[in-house]
Amino acid sequence: MTSLVTARGVSKNYGKICAVDNVSFDIDKGKIMGLIGPNGAGKTTLLKAMLGLTDCDGDLSVLGLNPFRQRKELMRNICFIADVAVLPRWIRVSQLLDFVESMHPNFSREKAEALLANTKVNARRDARVRELSKGMVTQLHLAIIAAIDARLLVLDEPTLGLDIIFRKEFYANLLSDYFDEERTILVTTHQVEEIENILTDIMFINEGRIILDASMDSLGDEYVELLTSGEKAEHARNIGPIAERDVFGKKIMLFEKPDRARLEPLGELHTPSVADLFVAKVKGATA
Amino acid sequence: MIGNQLALIRREIWEHRSIYVTPIAIAVIVSLVSLAGMVTVSAFDKEVNMALFGASNIAGDAERQAALTAFFLGTSWIFLFALAILITFYTLDSLYAERKDKSILFWRSLPITDAETVVSKLLTALFVLPLVTVAVIILTHLVNLVITSGWVIVKGGNAAHLIWGSVPLFDNWAAALIVTVASALWMSPLIGWFLFVSAFTKRSPLLMAFMPLIIIPIIEWIFFRSKIFASAVFGRGEMIPLFRETDIEHFFDEDRMVVNEEVVRLLAHIDVGKFLLSPSVWIGLVVCGLFATAAIYVRRYRDDS
Repeated sequence: MTSLVTARGVSKNYGKICAVDNVSFDIDKGKIMGLIGPNGAGKTTLLKAMLGLTDCDGDLSVLGLNPFRQRKELMRNICFIADVAVLPRWIRVSQLLDFVESMHPNFSREKAEALLANTKVNARRDARVRELSKGMVTQLHLAIIAAIDARLLVLDEPTLGLDIIFRKEFYANLLSDYFDEERTILVTTHQVEEIENILTDIMFINEGRIILDASMDSLGDEYVELLTSGEKAEHARNIGPIAERDVFGKKIMLFEKPDRARLEPLGELHTPSVADLFVAKVKGATA
Repeated sequence: MIGNQLALIRREIWEHRSIYVTPIAIAVIVSLVSLAGMVTVSAFDKEVNMALFGASNIAGDAERQAALTAFFLGTSWIFLFALAILITFYTLDSLYAERKDKSILFWRSLPITDAETVVSKLLTALFVLPLVTVAVIILTHLVNLVITSGWVIVKGGNAAHLIWGSVPLFDNWAAALIVTVASALWMSPLIGWFLFVSAFTKRSPLLMAFMPLIIIPIIEWIFFRSKIFASAVFGRGEMIPLFRETDIEHFFDEDRMVVNEEVVRLLAHIDVGKFLLSPSVWIGLVVCGLFATAAIYVRRYRDDS
């Protein structure tokens, strides 16, 4: 398995504030990696470092390149959507396509046209970006990105401010138009539940540190949720859950590296949702 | 590399429509004013019975040539003045607007270096804006000559001789091209400074660009009682080493209304060699280059998060 991104001891300080604190990880080819963290956890800083938008300490290699020093070479093979609002508002749809076509060696105009043909943007080639709805701007941006033959796609809160229909459509299109085993996606979002079923891997970041780096498949083995109540809950609590919460008078406890044989008699076992796991991990890390 | 620059410069023209809208608007105003002037002159002055430039009371060919050239010269200065304002606002906006609307994140997601981007904006300011202005100046001349010819013909004059035969078109156009491009190059340190301000300022680029230009001379005056900075910045425009010693404003003797044919040739007053050999031109370009490099550095290393 080839590693597209390799980070070893990567840090980034803003004055005395340490935004990214000595993190190490790998992202392999063909993965869809979710980078999840609360506000101010260092997600965006880490992405910026990987995109060569900011300098950092430690060893960081993306597609075998130093992102900050070799940004132009890197951008031939990386695409990123930082936020839906970043397409220039004054530009016309046709001008935008012309410009990307003339600047990007890996951009296929035919593919972009084909992708746009199925959207509402198609009828508005002469419109300026500011005249399009936010959902249409996202469709346009995604069509451009999907038409670039890039190896890594980085999405930083790509669906922020979109309504639920566009958000669902965005991820559906992302999978159908963009993703294949040659390509890799790195995505950050607050709306974990919307993407957890498309992710292959997940990374939690909190206060600049990585507190979880696992494949989605392994989560079911590594973590388990127990639904229990009454006396059984007391027994379960003695086994040492990493988190506990109340739902309709019952207790839900989350266990790391569980001993299933001991837990099974105590109640129902489930694989935890990413959101619940995230909350448990962040609270655990902060406590 | 050159293909990239052309695409980047085309983007600048898409974004800043004022690059061509402003000179065209001025051209329309100049044309309307000259038309109105002709109507007025020929309505009120019996002597001037064939419009301004075809007027039979202008003594000879050289004088008619001088009158036409003076008219073109006068209107060209309006374009130059507008160009100065246009370049100022363009450069101040060029690296500021993209940060303000955050589109810089999109531009930087494409395989373009910061140097290529900043250079494209500098080239637009130094060459594209002046060349567009020259093109519109030429267009204005033609439109005005056509209007004047029509007027002369209506009055029974011979436009081919009185107008088209009299006006040294190519001489005037070459002069307009040289003066416009040379002026932009001559003022390049200021253009570089504006570009740099536009790259670093967090707010109000206009204020940030002009505040130091006003405060530094005041401080200099308070402490040293000298005006070196102020004259270097605000006096620079007048010091352009492009003209021969003859005073261009008096190339035509108003008292006698007689002119020497040689004096009317604008190119005869322009000394391109002197301009290109002048150290102050090159020092100015170096200063401009330093500011542009600083702008590239700021765009590359700044981190707004």
